[in-house]
This record gives sequence, C-alpha cells and structure tokens, in this order.
Amino acid sequence: MKVANAEKQGPRPGVLLILVAVAIALITVWSREGETGPIHRLRAGVQAVTAPVSAAGEFVTRPVRGFFAWAGDLGVSRSQLEQLRQQNAQLRSRVAELEEARLENERLRGLIDLAQAREYEAVGARVIGKPANSWEGVVLINRGSDAGLKPGMPVVSAQGLLGQTIEVSPSSAKVRLITDQRSGVAAFVQRSRVEGVVRGSIEGNISLDFVSSETTVTVGDVVITSGMGGIYPKGIVIGEIAKVDTGENALYQRIEVTPASNLAGIEEVLVLVGAPEAQAPVGSTRGE
Amino acid sequence: MRRALPTIAAIFVAVLLQVGLAPYMAIGGVTPNFLLLVVVTLALVEGPTPGAASGFAAGLLFDLLGTGPVGPMALVLAVTGYVAGLLHEQMFAEGWLLPLTVLAVASLAAELAYGLLLMLMGAGGPFWSSLLTIMLPGAVYNTALGLLVYPWLARFLRPDQQMKTFRRLA
Repeated sequence: MKVANAEKQGPRPGVLLILVAVAIALITVWSREGETGPIHRLRAGVQAVTAPVSAAGEFVTRPVRGFFAWAGDLGVSRSQLEQLRQQNAQLRSRVAELEEARLENERLRGLIDLAQAREYEAVGARVIGKPANSWEGVVLINRGSDAGLKPGMPVVSAQGLLGQTIEVSPSSAKVRLITDQRSGVAAFVQRSRVEGVVRGSIEGNISLDFVSSETTVTVGDVVITSGMGGIYPKGIVIGEIAKVDTGENALYQRIEVTPASNLAGIEEVLVLVGAPEAQAPVGSTRGE
Repeated sequence: MRRALPTIAAIFVAVLLQVGLAPYMAIGGVTPNFLLLVVVTLALVEGPTPGAASGFAAGLLFDLLGTGPVGPMALVLAVTGYVAGLLHEQMFAEGWLLPLTVLAVASLAAELAYGLLLMLMGAGGPFWSSLLTIMLPGAVYNTALGLLVYPWLARFLRPDQQMKTFRRLA
C-alpha cells in the first residue's frame, strides 16, 4: 500500500505554519468585517455559483428520496392507519370550528376597523438545497435579492414559522431554520401569554427557554412569535409544547417544542418581505 | 503541474458532491464530508505538504459553502492533511487497514477540532451533544464512505503508482 516516498514531498512544517496563520487571519477578518466585507462577498459569490448545483442535486435525488419515503410508509401498520384516520376526523372537525372562528374574527375585525393591521407582502420560493454539513440547519431557496429578499426576513410555511433569511445572492438565499443552534425567536405561549425564547440546538430540536418555573405551561400549548426583537411579526405559529420538565429549585422550566412545520420535508416557503430588517449581524441571531 | 490537475479535479468534484449530493445522504442529520475524504486520500498518496495545502484549499471551500465562520475548517483540514501525510510515512502497516485507520482517526480528530473551534468562537453547540450527535457519527460515516471512495480516488490521483492492495479493494 505504501507509495514510494521518493516521489513524495517531504514534511515542511513552515508551509503548515503559514497555512495555519492564514486561516487564523481569515477567521479574524471574517469576524471583524461587516456584511459587505470581501469574505462575505466571496461567500455570496460561492453561493451564487453553487446554487444551481444544489438545485440539480435536489432534482436528481428526488426519485430516490421518493422511493425511500414510499418504502418507509410500507411499514405503517393497520393500527397506525386506524389511528391516523381517527386523527384526521378530529382534525376535520377542528378545522370546521376554526373556520367558523376565523369568519367571526374577520367580521369583528371589520367592525373595529382593523383593516389597517400590518400586512406583509410575501414572496413564494422553492427549497433547492439542504445543509451541506452536519453543523448547521440551513436551507437554500430559489429566490434572492432580485425578488426583493434581504437578510433578516422571516420565512414561513403554511403550517408556521421556518426561520429567517441570512445570506442573499441575486437568485438564491440561505434560510436559517428555527432548529439551527444559532437561532433564537422571541415567543410566548398562546394560552397563558408566558414569554420566552425558542432556541434551536445541535440535535435539531427546539425548546422554549427562559420560562420561569413559577408559571404554568402544559403539554399541547401552542407557541407563537411575540413580535419582540423586530424580525418576526407577532402571532406566527412556531409549534406545540411536547414536554415540560420543572426541576426542583430550578429557575427556569425545560420545555421541548415540536415545530409546527415539518422542517425536514419543506419544499415551498413564503418569505415575508415586508417585515423589518434584521439589525443583528449574521451568525448571532440568538434572541433575535 | 501534471500532478496538480488530478488534485484540483478531485477537490472540484468533492465540492460538487458536498453541495449536490451530501445533503441527501444525511443519516440522522449527519452529512458525509467528501472534502475530508479527498484531503486524507491526497495526504496519503502525496505526503504531508501537499496534504496540508489541499486541506487548506478544501477547508476554505467548505467554510465558504456554509454559513458559519470562514477559516476554521481551512485550519483544521490543513493540519489534518499534514498529520495524515506524516502518519502514513511513519507507519509500516500494509493493506487496507492503514488508510482506513488513518481516515477514521483523521475524521474524528477533524470533527472534534472543528467543533471545538466553533465552540471557542461561540458558534458551536454543547460539547457532549455535539460529540454524540455529530462528531462520532460523522467520523463513522466518513470512514465507511472512505472504504468505498479511497481506493478509486487514490488510483485516480496516482495512476502511475503500482498499488497492489487497490486491486483487492477496487
């Protein structure tokens, strides 16, 4: 297996030292330069060049992924099917109730002249790329600055909040999902109005943090954006509380949240282009 | 120059695979690192200095493809490439076990170092969570993939070399 060493270049520690120094210099420049700095611009260029490759990969692998999804569904048992049917019936009835509530809400809003309530313009986009490494929860969408997108715009699906745009090139944009470890969204529990911050994690889960142990939060409560921080508008559904752990003498509760959107399978998204721009630098979105 | 072309081609293809294919090969959120595979292979067939240089280039591309800090993976892969090259020169094992061992160690070390650098910069997750959910599974995934990729890649990079073991593998 050994290749003749005579043809190899011998060890040159000096070269390694230079490369390490350059890498450290790059890290320093990246962290100190602004959004318009040369490294950020270079990254935007790389994103613009590689976006078609991401799109091609998404397109080419679609049939294979479809096959695996189909094969996975084969494992659904009869009892699970029955359970899903019951759930479907319950949801249908719930949708009918909610529709009634929505109509009533519309009438009431009309009465008190809430027509001037904030309405954001939205741009539809398709997901054309998934995270290229294990360390980040970021997807690539096929709309960019040409469609009016800027960093710091909220991104939603039909089910709820997905994340925010962080890097934008003319024809594509990267969206940091709420499950990313660097994501933080000001939120509150819809029922009790208890406020907290929904944060992502390295495992790809989300939790509602900084909720005092003295407040009551129950499994099944819906968590929505609070509008604090200026990035996400108030009232977007984030998810549902899945688990609450109130430790003895703990200051805060440990609250796990199930995202409303299926973040692993998102295909189409809406970018709220009318929302206020992010003020925080990219890479430090925690707590908005 | 003649030997630089296959190196550049290998890194270029690795970037394409990392962007276009790796995201859809993720298992439990763990994505393979094709650039790391190329760097370790290069280090094994070319030696420490080309290993470090290609590691720096591949790592920089990896950083630019992501959304995190630019530079940490360039640093990590430069050192990984160098050490993998040295390791190969100082080991006398024969057969597929050597590259596989180097790949496994290099992969785990690179993931660990990258995770620690991110943590130092405030961009990483908690250590134990990262170790269990990304670093260890990532190292296993890369090693398994390396078993398939290494023989073909090494042959592509050094077609002039007689590497009898490759016949067994590739």
